[in-house]
Amino acid sequence: MSFRQKSKCADGEYNGDENRNRGPSKWSNCRKRGADGSMRSNGDVDSTSTSDLKKSNPTHKHPDNRPVSFTTPESGGPVSRCTDWGSEVETDEMRTSVRRDMQRYRRRILTADFGPRERTNSSGSSDSRDSPVPGEGMEDDEEVLMRRQKQINYGKNTLAYDRYIQEVPKHLRQPAHPKTPNKFKKYSRRSWDQQIKLWKVKIHAWDPPAQQGSELQAIEEVDLDDIMDIELDFPELDSDASAQPVKVTKAPSSQLDTCHGTPSKMIKMEASVDLDMV
Amino acid sequence: MPTSKMDNPNEDYKIQSFDLETQKLLKTALKVVSMPSEPSAVDLEKVSNVIVDQSLKDPVFSKEAGRICYTIVQAEAKHNGNVFRRNLLNRLQLEFKAREETRLRSRQEWVCFVTFICNIFDYLKVNSMPMVALVHPVFDCLFRLAQPDSLNNEEEVDCLVLQLHRIGDQLEKMNSQRMDELFYLLRDGFLLQEGLSSMARLLLLEILEFRAGAWTLSDTAQKYYYSEVND
Repeated sequence: MSFRQKSKCADGEYNGDENRNRGPSKWSNCRKRGADGSMRSNGDVDSTSTSDLKKSNPTHKHPDNRPVSFTTPESGGPVSRCTDWGSEVETDEMRTSVRRDMQRYRRRILTADFGPRERTNSSGSSDSRDSPVPGEGMEDDEEVLMRRQKQINYGKNTLAYDRYIQEVPKHLRQPAHPKTPNKFKKYSRRSWDQQIKLWKVKIHAWDPPAQQGSELQAIEEVDLDDIMDIELDFPELDSDASAQPVKVTKAPSSQLDTCHGTPSKMIKMEASVDLDMV
Repeated sequence: MPTSKMDNPNEDYKIQSFDLETQKLLKTALKVVSMPSEPSAVDLEKVSNVIVDQSLKDPVFSKEAGRICYTIVQAEAKHNGNVFRRNLLNRLQLEFKAREETRLRSRQEWVCFVTFICNIFDYLKVNSMPMVALVHPVFDCLFRLAQPDSLNNEEEVDCLVLQLHRIGDQLEKMNSQRMDELFYLLRDGFLLQEGLSSMARLLLLEILEFRAGAWTLSDTAQKYYYSEVND
């Protein structure tokens, strides 16, 4: 074996074919560190590490040999090439995190099987906080999980989320509070995306007080945009109520004046989502 | 500031080797990056470039830079940041692509680069695992060092065995096949290469034994290679 066979690696570009490149998030204006461009650029993250080249063959996409048509096709869009180590490592990081979370979740399914009704609060480092239901199907497609995790990360990487988790400790959270969707449950693509949207809308209630009119404007535009989508699917929602961010907590900070008096009807949204989850 | 010092007793010492302005930048980086309030107060891209630049010209620093990078990466990760890591890796990639020119231009800079990338590989982990993206590049560098023209250069042989001592076991776990191939080259070099200095042969023999003993030296081997130095 000699150097020459390494030449395919020698330029440092390891290309995968399962990369998906979706457009910039509509929520990017709330991103904590997006502005400098180095962290959340457009061509971000989705890329493939070298070790996954073998797996990128579409016929091996589902480890349990399900036919591809068995699950909802969850992505489209142009395929991008992984070109830089930074993105490669980020993808790798997300992949290993998802695997670790998956094992955690499986363990919890097992313990739920044995210990009836004993619901101890989970460690909190996992994203899926509601306890797993034994026997129910679990989403184990890594690509799906990674895509979902990415959406969750986008939502969490906001100033509003930081404020939320600071102001409302876990044990004080109520059903009306934003709750991270459980990425391990089987949902259709449509249902999942709805949950993410609703979750983000709720998180926006903790947006830092707007200082400039233009910023506020931008956020409101996004909100409306998403609520339009929601209405398409949930016509029973009162658009006036949902056009305002929910604020269910008694936030100590008085900067949140703008949210006061918002009807807390929005809680209904969760119920309507649940219908879809079944 | 106190936390970073406690984590890294050597840090301040190493930072002395920078010029004053760079020292200031690095210290601010280490300080500010651990505080959540102002993430943009320090240009982490600039910091990563300063570290790489210094590593490429300072053989001592290139062996220690991983520790500083580790501190910064840990700190920025606490706030879900990865600007520094991303820029560091992408800059490393640029240097990697240009490695052959670098080697022709300056043997020392090339050795510094290999030392640095291996040090980064050693220190920066992703979910406690080595960074997959660096496995092949690091192997590529070591393969380059195992070529005949490099084996005739003691500086490069020294670098090669040092890296294998430090990260050989991790690399083998990540890709044992390439490690086998690398050691075919090293055995061939040891046995067949004309004009290899006895120092180079000694280093190669030691690393061959080292790997054969599952990345440790037996006591007798240890004595054989190092007793003279100790006495």
